[in-house]
Amino acid sequence: SSHEHKLNFRKSKEACLNYIQDALLQKQWKRAAEFLTCYVESLEKDYSREHIGPSEMIWRIGTEILWHHSQSSMKEFNCFMEQMKTLGVKRYLKVCLEHVFHLLCNGQIDEAYQNLSLAESWRFGEQTAIQDKEMKLVEAYRGLLDYYSWSKQKNILLEHGEDGFSDLAVEQEMHSYFRKAAVNLKEIIKIPGVWDVFVKCYVDLLEFYGDHNEARQVLNEYAYNSKFPANPNAHVYLYQFLKRQGESKKSLISALKILHDIVPSHELMIDFNTMLQKSKKRKKRRLGLEVIFAALDYAGWKENEKGWSCLARQVKQIVISEKHLDWIKQEWNSRKDWWPAFHFSRYLAKRNWQENKSLSYEKALVAGILLGKDCKYFKHISHQGCKAQLKRFRMLKKFVNRHNPVYLRISG
Amino acid sequence: MEFPAALFPSYFGAGPPREEGGPAPVAGWGEHGQVLEGGPGRRQAQPAFVPRRGATGERWEAADAAAVPVLLPSAGCWIPSPAPQDILYRSGLCKKLRAGKSGATLDFARQLGHFFVDHPEDAFGSLGQLLHKNFYLGNSKLKRPARSSTIRMTALVEDIDRLEARRGCPRQHLASRLRWFSHLCRDWLFEVPLGLLADCLHEELMQQWSDLLFDDSLTGGALAWLPPEDGRTPVGRLVHPGGQAMNHLYFQDVVLEELPRARGSPAEFELSGRIRQVAAARVDGEDFVGVRSDYHCGVWRVPGRTGAAPAPLQVIRTDVPASCLTVSPHLPGELSVCTQSGTVYLWSVETGLQQLRHDPQTMFFRDHSPWRWSDFTAHPRVLSCADRTGLQCLDARAPKKCHFDLFKVGEEAGCQQGERVVLPMYLGRAHPSQYLVTTQFSVYVLDERLPLVPVLKWAHMMKAPPLFAHVMPGNPGRSHQVLLGASRTQELLLLQYRGKRSSSRGGSQSACQLAGTPQKLHSIAGCLQHLPTQLPHRQHLLQQRLAAPAAGLAATLQEDGLHKSMLVFQLSEAGDVFCQRLTHKAAQPPAPPSRDEDTTAPGSSPLFEAPASSPQGLAAALRYRRWLRAFSRACREPPRHTWHPSLSQRRLFTRRDLEGPAGPSSLQRQMRQRLHQAMREGGRIQRWEPLAVQPPPLPQTLEPAEGPDPLSARLTAAWGGDWEQWWEERSSFSVAQRQRALRERRRRQKRARGCRSLSASFTSSLTYQSELSELSDAGTSLLSPGCPPILSQESSPPAGSPAIRSPPASPAPDEALLSSQSLRCRGIPKERRKTLRDYLSVWAEGPPEPPEPPGSQASQLCIPSSQSQLSSASQPRRKRPRMGF
Repeated sequence: SSHEHKLNFRKSKEACLNYIQDALLQKQWKRAAEFLTCYVESLEKDYSREHIGPSEMIWRIGTEILWHHSQSSMKEFNCFMEQMKTLGVKRYLKVCLEHVFHLLCNGQIDEAYQNLSLAESWRFGEQTAIQDKEMKLVEAYRGLLDYYSWSKQKNILLEHGEDGFSDLAVEQEMHSYFRKAAVNLKEIIKIPGVWDVFVKCYVDLLEFYGDHNEARQVLNEYAYNSKFPANPNAHVYLYQFLKRQGESKKSLISALKILHDIVPSHELMIDFNTMLQKSKKRKKRRLGLEVIFAALDYAGWKENEKGWSCLARQVKQIVISEKHLDWIKQEWNSRKDWWPAFHFSRYLAKRNWQENKSLSYEKALVAGILLGKDCKYFKHISHQGCKAQLKRFRMLKKFVNRHNPVYLRISG
Repeated sequence: MEFPAALFPSYFGAGPPREEGGPAPVAGWGEHGQVLEGGPGRRQAQPAFVPRRGATGERWEAADAAAVPVLLPSAGCWIPSPAPQDILYRSGLCKKLRAGKSGATLDFARQLGHFFVDHPEDAFGSLGQLLHKNFYLGNSKLKRPARSSTIRMTALVEDIDRLEARRGCPRQHLASRLRWFSHLCRDWLFEVPLGLLADCLHEELMQQWSDLLFDDSLTGGALAWLPPEDGRTPVGRLVHPGGQAMNHLYFQDVVLEELPRARGSPAEFELSGRIRQVAAARVDGEDFVGVRSDYHCGVWRVPGRTGAAPAPLQVIRTDVPASCLTVSPHLPGELSVCTQSGTVYLWSVETGLQQLRHDPQTMFFRDHSPWRWSDFTAHPRVLSCADRTGLQCLDARAPKKCHFDLFKVGEEAGCQQGERVVLPMYLGRAHPSQYLVTTQFSVYVLDERLPLVPVLKWAHMMKAPPLFAHVMPGNPGRSHQVLLGASRTQELLLLQYRGKRSSSRGGSQSACQLAGTPQKLHSIAGCLQHLPTQLPHRQHLLQQRLAAPAAGLAATLQEDGLHKSMLVFQLSEAGDVFCQRLTHKAAQPPAPPSRDEDTTAPGSSPLFEAPASSPQGLAAALRYRRWLRAFSRACREPPRHTWHPSLSQRRLFTRRDLEGPAGPSSLQRQMRQRLHQAMREGGRIQRWEPLAVQPPPLPQTLEPAEGPDPLSARLTAAWGGDWEQWWEERSSFSVAQRQRALRERRRRQKRARGCRSLSASFTSSLTYQSELSELSDAGTSLLSPGCPPILSQESSPPAGSPAIRSPPASPAPDEALLSSQSLRCRGIPKERRKTLRDYLSVWAEGPPEPPEPPGSQASQLCIPSSQSQLSSASQPRRKRPRMGF
């Protein structure tokens, strides 16, 4: 009966798909390609109402095979992609985007640009929400390519400018690239998302043309709009922009403070700490100590020599001045039950000494002050240092011994 | 670690997932996802782009045609867990009826029948004893005076037999005599009211069935590899469960040669429950191994040098099955434990347990699964906790106030409808702030510094959800290898991802990329086609054995000189450990039609057909022969019990337990006296405190004030010996009342389901372990039904140091007296102990709530996050229903 036939057809389709999947997962591209040619038949009787239909499967599998197959060429790939675009209306933009991505990764920027322009002009009835998003991406990527052309022209112009003559045609072309890029980039970064590349390019354009207010607004929006994800890069870009603009220390600090609140382990915390340490205000220096302590809480900072030297410098300063020992005490209070095992174990002392002497020096200084001269870490390092007759380690030992009462005040 | 300077573009939306879901067989192929400028340009003038997926990766090739056994099968036959045909209806008639209809029909009647036949005492015990005078089993006719009060059972039995013979006949009618009998006695004959018993059994069957469909108790896997400390000696340690009930823990030294080989005999520990998970982490050169069974978690320390004996550190027991145990990679002796009641603990060997969260509800929307997970993060004081709906990170110093959402099943991560978290894993070894989350559809890599937005997402296309994962960090600039493993289908998938630029630019951080194509590795069952054909029944056994669901996954990278290889170990539920080697091929343009296309084609079996071609193949073939021989030896041994395995009582207690206590302590003597006295007087003991202690005011009891409760009355009568008389009085009580009481009890015990037949403690075969077992046995079996389940903890004191007691639950004396050991000391027979305990538990007070850590400094200790402001913790949030998820 026809029902049975349908059932059998479905079964053999499934079996074929399984073979293909198996071959793909074992990197047997040739075998997969052979099975795929059989699977194409499944397009004929496509009754499925599944999440991913046969035409999409063929697109995905075919693309994967063509990426890896030893005998495939770019020409074949392009040809296959063109066919796939006609296979499903709903997927047209998606396939276009993927095609563009592949061209871009293979350095065929111009072809990619053509494809993007084509896709942009594509219209088919009413668009779904997903298609809308894809269209925005198509436009954004075209904007990005326009930006790259712009920056190429800019470089030419700058080089020529040094020579002392300017080319009007090149300049005009550059401005037209600017307009095209700016329109598209501006659109996408309004929508919540992660748009690091687009934002960077757009800000670069604006800065070149001196529209600093717009640039600042864009960056503020990208960093502080609560509909956007908490992207650390958004704050980094803002900070870098403010720095380029020569803004006051205060606004730089407030930008980094927010970054510190979101990502205490960000690598910019070193800059932040240095900036705060130099400050005359007590509150700022206090914040600096908090920042560096918080950063060193993270596993990624365990062997960060810069971080430890920042902490060591500030702790040393405080100990020598004997003012604000309570700052250290407060920071230490919430850490004293786990920092010794996390940072200052005997095992780590041995390893740090072997791998990085200056790291172990900074750490030993901190350990000696926070845990006293009898702490395992300090004892091991100072012993090794003295044995190796290194002067700074001898000084370190003296320093810690002299300031041992501080330890009692911190831990008490 | 630096944050990548630019991330791949992506949309960000909030709310429930919009994309319609479903298993998609090829969803992971053919997509670059996004591109980003990066890497060195080909021509200086042009930007170069890198794809999110599809960059070239490392080439790994299987060295053998199939996985090879590492260890010989253990003696004694493996007991397979129930198969679908054991609990599903399989009558031909029924099959026809439900053809077309989806869903399975549980064979409920058969199971109930089994219960009556297997446990007649439990099913009909008391009534059987009371009525046995009134049942006549002989063949002769009954005489007049006896006839008025006696039933002849022979006829009934004949009727039943006849019914049995006609089973399957559509026109079967019940014999009227049977119907009459069942009408008459349905309400009172059963020890447990039939309706209630049926409810319980049905529930159990449903549980078994859902375990068959997806058993999440195995999450994380029960196999761990402890690499050699210095990496110079090629001897590592494999930690795996074994034994018939998978309740033996082995630490086996393994030499990494061409084929890994076990060296010496393993250190063995006998535990009291089936081992569900083995987790390991290395801190300061020492390995800490956490072992989870349903009601116990234990931790072992394994010193780094080879040959050092593993030392057990501590055991905790839980009232509700634990669903997760992870070991901290930052601090020695720290673990995190989750139970199915939604509680998360930070467990430190030194300071005991700290409850971080207790929330029986799921986090982001309602989901029925009680599964919870927890792991560590880049900050040693911040733990992640997960349920099926997502992940949150919380600060152990102020868990109520400081937390942020790391992953949500929703539009934020571009999830599909119906997607659920299966396994979260901290990728600390590869990158300190990265996290792996697998769902049944996809695998995500997350960065703590950018919560909610996955830095990598890929549809893994596995047929069963990946319950196991293992990460092998690559050298700087190289890609990290991630292995995913599924349980039921034994699938193994190798993925590669990169977080660093491998270029000459100095290896700065770049956005995460999936490198290379995913690769399927050999499964255990895959070797069957290479094995010589066996006799049919043995072939069947072999097939069953090799196809047992996978239970764990471990792997290690091995580098000697130029040769780099990867060893992947896979554990099956039957306790078999198989291994395969993958060799690294230096990056080269795709080779002409490669060798593997021929060798792994179905049907060929190079392992046995051409063993001489390579010495390695020969070794593998030899290994198989040995394994097969041992396997058939183990299976030939006739099983002692033909129906069902039973455990001897001797096994339940250590020898020392059975010897009896050296002498009762004064407290025990006193209590024994009181018990005797109470029995003599026929009274009851309200509180177990020594008399010297002033009894505190009685708590509001659960029982109504009128008279003693029926249970105590029955117990009193039973002890007094005039039970039959009590029963006659009692029979006027309504059945409904009994049902209510039992239902209440059942509800209390419902969550605490599981493998009860094994003794209630971790025990071990090593002698220096004995104090551990003793402590855990004599410890606190808390029976506080009303209050939220808490962990009671016991510890084995290290020699020379004072015993460590956990602060939250110091056992009250009455609880100590309720332990099985102390009850046994009083000569109370085993079958009554449970009843007595249940009875007494009504009077036992719930232990005090563990104190909250002081929150005065909370605002300072907080992990600062933009998310923490959004979800202020103190107000209890109502979960949205799962509409749209």
